[in-house]
Amino acid sequence: MSTDDRSATITGDRSRYRLDLAVLDWIERLSDTQFVYVMLLPVFALLGTMAIWPLLYTANISLHADNIVATNPVGEFVGLGNYVDILTGQANLQRPFFSLETPFTSAVPVTLLFTVGAVAVETVFGLAMALILNKEFRGRRWARVAMILPWAVPIVIQGMIFYLMFQPSIGFAVGPLNELGLISTTPLATSRDGLLIAILADVWKQSAFMALLILAGLQSIDRSLYDVADVAGASKLQQFRTITFPLVLPALLVALLFRTIGALKVYGLVEATSGCNTVPTLSCLVIGLWNGNRYGSAAAVAFIIAAVIGVLLLGYLAQLRRHERGEM
Amino acid sequence: MRCDVSDATSDTESVIDRTAHRAIRDPDTVYQWLTYAGIGFFLTISLFPFYWLVVLALTPNRAIADMGVVPKGFNPGAFLEVFEVVPFHLYMLNSVIIASLSTIIVLTVGSIAGYVFGRYDFPGRTPLLLGILVISYFPPVAFLIPLFRLFTGQVTLIGLESPELYNTPWGIVMPLSAITMPLIIFLLTTFYRQIPDGLEDAARIEGSTRIGALRRVIVPLSAPGVATAGILTFIIVYNEFFFSYLMVNGTVEGWSPVLHGIFAFQGSQQVAYNLMAAASIIGVIPMAILVMIAQERIVSGLTQGALKE
Repeated sequence: MSTDDRSATITGDRSRYRLDLAVLDWIERLSDTQFVYVMLLPVFALLGTMAIWPLLYTANISLHADNIVATNPVGEFVGLGNYVDILTGQANLQRPFFSLETPFTSAVPVTLLFTVGAVAVETVFGLAMALILNKEFRGRRWARVAMILPWAVPIVIQGMIFYLMFQPSIGFAVGPLNELGLISTTPLATSRDGLLIAILADVWKQSAFMALLILAGLQSIDRSLYDVADVAGASKLQQFRTITFPLVLPALLVALLFRTIGALKVYGLVEATSGCNTVPTLSCLVIGLWNGNRYGSAAAVAFIIAAVIGVLLLGYLAQLRRHERGEM
Repeated sequence: MRCDVSDATSDTESVIDRTAHRAIRDPDTVYQWLTYAGIGFFLTISLFPFYWLVVLALTPNRAIADMGVVPKGFNPGAFLEVFEVVPFHLYMLNSVIIASLSTIIVLTVGSIAGYVFGRYDFPGRTPLLLGILVISYFPPVAFLIPLFRLFTGQVTLIGLESPELYNTPWGIVMPLSAITMPLIIFLLTTFYRQIPDGLEDAARIEGSTRIGALRRVIVPLSAPGVATAGILTFIIVYNEFFFSYLMVNGTVEGWSPVLHGIFAFQGSQQVAYNLMAAASIIGVIPMAILVMIAQERIVSGLTQGALKE
């Protein structure tokens, strides 16, 4: 069939000349490398305009001063001035960038507390969930559906649920928790409580994601290792310590890395519960600056977030390489 | 008095004793109980928030104050009222259209890339894959300013006036397609790699063209992987917050998705908690259905895409 198509174009009967066949023929004559790059053109086009160009643009304006009054909000070139101002606390921001006196209202401590708090609990919950889902029991399929469901909830609805739980006039949780002295009477308007609520909401939604990645690691463990351990008389706890945990560790670290990166970017969840004013994360700071037409500073903060993620990633990769070398 | 107490404790002690004996004789039962306790714990945590939404949605708004964990009254009418107060169905429709368009773009572009990366070894392959990976680590705020200016017509790109995509579905679809692309490319790359080489070679030897072999051999075999990628993309885009929030002005006519539909209830003159809850339930339904019918695919897609990266 296709050989006929080809010969038709090659013999070149002008009246039967068809564009699609010409294209097919042209593709057929490309070398493998040329073919590959032609096929990748759509990806390059999409990622080029929607990702690479914006990143370069943002990098460029982060090196320019803010210009609030003029029509063009990008001011003169200042080099790394924006970064220096922000990192040394000289930039005039709505909320301090880094202040240990007010850790719950300054961007870096809030973001780090959120990340560490949420990811730590998610790791413990995720590991426990994965161990349970790895067992055979009746109704496992439905238990898994129920546990994945929070992961598939839109961020805005996730936020709405926790907003409705901690709304003082209606929420069942506010009264008792307040009496225990854990939260104030208006948790959604208090920075410390707002952060706590955001962590709770993130744990609710993301523990399942963690569990699924760890579960995949669990399922790749060779069953016969446990048989050997049973014969050797190892207890379940010993088996967990010597077989399960070390073998599941790589998957767990990947899950940990993914969640950490995700948590560092947090914005929507905060916006949908307490609001950026109460819980000013780093992404909130960027949006605030952008709304104030301070493009240079906004871009610089965006790249500071990216740099933090980059450092984390490199550290993780180095750790992974060491781990692999140590094993081999 | 004292006698009574000791009686009662000795009775419970004997229960504890018996349980302890059984546990020591057969430690597996303990793990069994632990498992069931764990299942109960996690199911409660996962499902209680949904139950709380149902409680609020069923309680008439006037009665919502100092709520316990059972509904005060029974008012299923709230689920209809949601559509009368705000055109919530249209917000839902916008969301579904935006998620579908993104899915189509991501699948078309992503499968070609996944095919190429999975089946060809070419100069520049590793750097390109690494570059794609790096893009996915940038926070969305790093793309915001240029894309917003581009979509509101304030930027000229290579001498061309940019089309105004703000308040159109494309203002959300295009950035989200790009941001979802890395995950999908990695997912499909591993998938295409698993298809045996011999099949495609055989087709080529039989005289099929490159595109012909792709269409007749690879495409039919790749259907399961592409379906998984499609479901994941749909869920991710439907659930997304950042661009869905900022690239539209919040009106139905401006193609605002469900997110703005939910927020619309916060802005209405009288705070209708029951409608917020009802709208949230309705907004989750498409995702709940997807998870129920496609959980295997979601699980395999998430784990493969993430672990292979």
